[in-house]
Amino acid sequence: MTVLVLLSVLGLITLFSGFSSDKKLPIYLGIVGLAVVLGFNFMGWDLAHNAYNMVVADNYSIAFTTIMTFSTIFILFLLPDFSEKVEVPLAEITSLLLFTLFGAYLMVSYSNLVMLFIGIEILSISLYILAGSKKSNTASNEAAMKYFLMGSFATGFLLFGITLIYGATGSFDLGTIKTFVTDHAADTSTLLLVGVILMLIGLAFKISAAPFHFWAPDVYQGSPSLVTGFMATVVKTAGIAAFFKLFYTCFIPLADSWRTTIWVMAALTMTIGNITALYQTTFKRMLAYSSIAHAGYLLLALLALNNLSATAILYYATAYSLATIASFAVLITVHQAKQSHSLDSFKGLAKNNPFLAVMATIALCSLAGIPPLAGFFAKFYLFSAVIKEHFYWIVVIAVLNSCVGIFYYFRIIVNMFSPTAEQETIEVSSLYKMVIFVCIILSLVLGLLPDLILRCNL
Amino acid sequence: MTNLVFLVPLLPLIGFLLNGLLNNKISKNLAAAIGVLSVAGSFAIAAGIFLQSFHESSASHTIQYCTWLKAGSLTIPFEFLVDHLSMLFMLIITGVGLLIHIYSAGYMHDDDGFNRFFAYLNLFMFSMLMLVLGANYVMMFVGWEGVGLCSYLLIGFWYKNQEYNSAAKKAFIMNRIGDLGFLAGMFLMFSHFGSLSFAEVFEKAKAFSTNDTAIVGITLLLFIGACGKSAQIPLFTWLPDAMAGPTPVSALIHAATMVTAGIYMIARSNVLYTLAPTTLKVILVVGVFTALLGSFIALTQKDIKKVLAYSTVSQLGYMFIALGLGNYNAAVFHVMTHAFFKALLFLGAGSVIHAMSGEQDIFKMGGLRKHLPITNITFFIATLAISGFPLLSGFFSKDEIFVAALSYSPLLWLPISILFFLTPFYMFRLYFLTFYGEYRGTQEQMDHLHESPQIMTIPLMILAVLSVVGGWINASLFNIHGLEHFLEPVFRNYTLPFSSEGNEILEYGLAAVSLVVVIYLIWLTNNVFAKKEAENLAEEDMSFLQKLSYNKFYVDELYAFLIQKPLDWISEKTYEFIEVSGIDQIVNGTGSFVGWSSNTLRKLQTGHIGFYLFAMVFGIIMILVLNFII
Repeated sequence: MTVLVLLSVLGLITLFSGFSSDKKLPIYLGIVGLAVVLGFNFMGWDLAHNAYNMVVADNYSIAFTTIMTFSTIFILFLLPDFSEKVEVPLAEITSLLLFTLFGAYLMVSYSNLVMLFIGIEILSISLYILAGSKKSNTASNEAAMKYFLMGSFATGFLLFGITLIYGATGSFDLGTIKTFVTDHAADTSTLLLVGVILMLIGLAFKISAAPFHFWAPDVYQGSPSLVTGFMATVVKTAGIAAFFKLFYTCFIPLADSWRTTIWVMAALTMTIGNITALYQTTFKRMLAYSSIAHAGYLLLALLALNNLSATAILYYATAYSLATIASFAVLITVHQAKQSHSLDSFKGLAKNNPFLAVMATIALCSLAGIPPLAGFFAKFYLFSAVIKEHFYWIVVIAVLNSCVGIFYYFRIIVNMFSPTAEQETIEVSSLYKMVIFVCIILSLVLGLLPDLILRCNL
Repeated sequence: MTNLVFLVPLLPLIGFLLNGLLNNKISKNLAAAIGVLSVAGSFAIAAGIFLQSFHESSASHTIQYCTWLKAGSLTIPFEFLVDHLSMLFMLIITGVGLLIHIYSAGYMHDDDGFNRFFAYLNLFMFSMLMLVLGANYVMMFVGWEGVGLCSYLLIGFWYKNQEYNSAAKKAFIMNRIGDLGFLAGMFLMFSHFGSLSFAEVFEKAKAFSTNDTAIVGITLLLFIGACGKSAQIPLFTWLPDAMAGPTPVSALIHAATMVTAGIYMIARSNVLYTLAPTTLKVILVVGVFTALLGSFIALTQKDIKKVLAYSTVSQLGYMFIALGLGNYNAAVFHVMTHAFFKALLFLGAGSVIHAMSGEQDIFKMGGLRKHLPITNITFFIATLAISGFPLLSGFFSKDEIFVAALSYSPLLWLPISILFFLTPFYMFRLYFLTFYGEYRGTQEQMDHLHESPQIMTIPLMILAVLSVVGGWINASLFNIHGLEHFLEPVFRNYTLPFSSEGNEILEYGLAAVSLVVVIYLIWLTNNVFAKKEAENLAEEDMSFLQKLSYNKFYVDELYAFLIQKPLDWISEKTYEFIEVSGIDQIVNGTGSFVGWSSNTLRKLQTGHIGFYLFAMVFGIIMILVLNFII
């Protein structure tokens, strides 16, 4: 509870610090503030503090909020030197990022469906604005508009689902719903089942699972790159964590009625994401499809629903966030130098800036799941969790998809290391260098010592 | 002192890392100093451990450092076994190794790859020491593979010569075949004993009966490994080709140390082998035929190093005969004396080649004794020693083997004794052709003839002394059983089936016979090869047997016909029918299919929000319909 209050106050403070003459003050305030929030957040470990049956700060929520906060801090570090023309003051961007994070906090800490809904709405509305923050850029505007339209549509379903569940169980409270579902497992009403499926659809939209993924490529491409990076990491983590929490806590007794849907959805999402990524000609759009593909892998955790899957998601989200932030940082740097997101602009990077090329290679290898990087073990633990529940075919599909993934990730690596006639130096700001370096080192460390995260008792 | 044993392999490893990483950044002198001093350090520690062992009550120490591998029920600790057998090998390896390192500093001095050479030599020392110090089969295997790698690197040291590269590959592949046997042996061992540690395996082996199938299987498989490493039939053909490497390498790796790894491994596993008389018989037969083949081929070779190489093959054969007879002592004893005189022979040959500007054909030498006095004398001593001239080292060690053979059966003893007299013949042929008679080289080579520098001749002299006196450590003829007692704790469960006590007359008689025969052979070879003009037969003029020997029994050709040709054929056909028209089609087809799907799916992303919403609603309807109506 303290953490939530602190975070929302922090958002307000950064917003008002925009009156200061130092344009970058809000960012630094945001970083320092988040560090404090992290500290308070940690203090709640193992306490499972429950605030008015609305939000609960158990280890699950603390672990995920920690990761998301770290991601946000990295993104904030990238903000001062962000080169794309964003016509919204930095203070507003910072505070919007913090409000989104606040929504994300609610999405993983809720113990009441109302809180979940409010969290999702806070997160979404801030994101609609962030997506359109390049005001005079049509692509950015288009992204914001599409995101908003489709997002509201999906929200409708989510809300409808919540209502039906309320109608069937008489409560918004997770505990009550759980008890009700367990007691009535034998004679479930259609009302409840439809409610569950509708909520599933609403949440699937948030994590861009197929066939509700169509917004993602356009929105990811149109938004400012940094916002895209934020969506791909923090928002995706929040979405899957909320999704998993709801279904793991309440709906396991009904698993038979929604598992097949998840199975098909996961298979479709992975396949569409990976296959479509193959033909993309810009790095940014390719990352968008890759992010859809990763959502597909993450959905596997909802199939497993055993004691391994929560940690598996946590580890996966961490590995994925680290590699994605590093990739976006590289993307932004290259874009600044070449004014293009195309794959060709990566040609000769190894010669022009070996540091950037090597770091990007490691990041992409982690995304592709090459050992000993964190991305490999993330897939490994996730797939093991699923295999433990005897879902073999979906794992076969997932592994085949990973192979396809390797192709497009490595195409960029090949591009970077192929010769080019152009000789130019690419400037990397020291903040970007630092963030990239830290992300890569963490990817390596987590790959070598996966226990750092896996031993968390969620 | 035993606590310092980890330094014995560590020092050469450090030497390797320094020389390997700094490669061309340091001067040749510094590289040589690093190489020589690291081995000298190891030798000093090994000697210290050896001397201390006389004051210790327990003969064997297992020093465990940490757990190295752990998987399921398999735990492999990183541990060293320091007992009298490994001490002896440590001394031989570091001692002979040190001399050869010193010699190499002179021999290789003008080579561009000087620093690299020392790096490899040090890496070899490290691996070889790991091999003998490891206290379980896995660690031994690591050293086993390590020496194989170094052997490969050093045979192909002059990698610009394609033939040398082929020789290196041949050695590697032949060894690989053996390694497979070793690995399979370890697997089988683990499945029966649940452990790969010497102590545990040997303890549990006691529960097995003699000739138990499992034990026979394990020992046979391990023996295949030994065949590869120690150049026995059928895997011996790599050793003569390995002479492509620089001569000090031939001396160190392909004569004195690495090729004896197989003997070490079998001696180390004596508990298992004693339980498997069947395997011992196989070893005996293989040893006899290898000794025969090696000596016979050595008779007609013209390349100075090839003669020595085949001589090594046959000497290894004798060692295996000793093992096959269950007389591990004799085998280890012969390893030791052989290390002295064969290293000396190779280094002497190196000195000759050095003086002759790289010439290796003995028919283009002759009369070198005047120009290379020290090499001449030391080479002569080594030749006497290997020929079993009484009271020199080779005499005592081969005598042990013959006594063992005699006790087994006179029918075995007689042929191998006669066989052994081929050794003085080909050795003195080599000696007289090289050092006596008329000079047959070119004038240019003549002008360059010179005795090697001291840095090379001093190791020769030290080895010559060892070749003379080295055998007295176990001169059973004079009732000296030093080595036997020293090794007794290792070979404890083995009792000599035949004691030489009481048979002195027979032994003295045999010694006298061998004295007479060797002197006769010296006189004979002197007449044939030194007095007369040396007869350099062209291949066409040779008799059938000479041709057979000169062409190495056509073993290489046989292997090419039996193995290489069919493999090539299969490979070609698989490539045509399975690879190109099968797998390639499937793989490329998959690729094009995925590409095509990508291009198709991509077009779904139209950018029209209407379509997106339609797709979403369609998806929702499908989910609801499939879940609730069907």
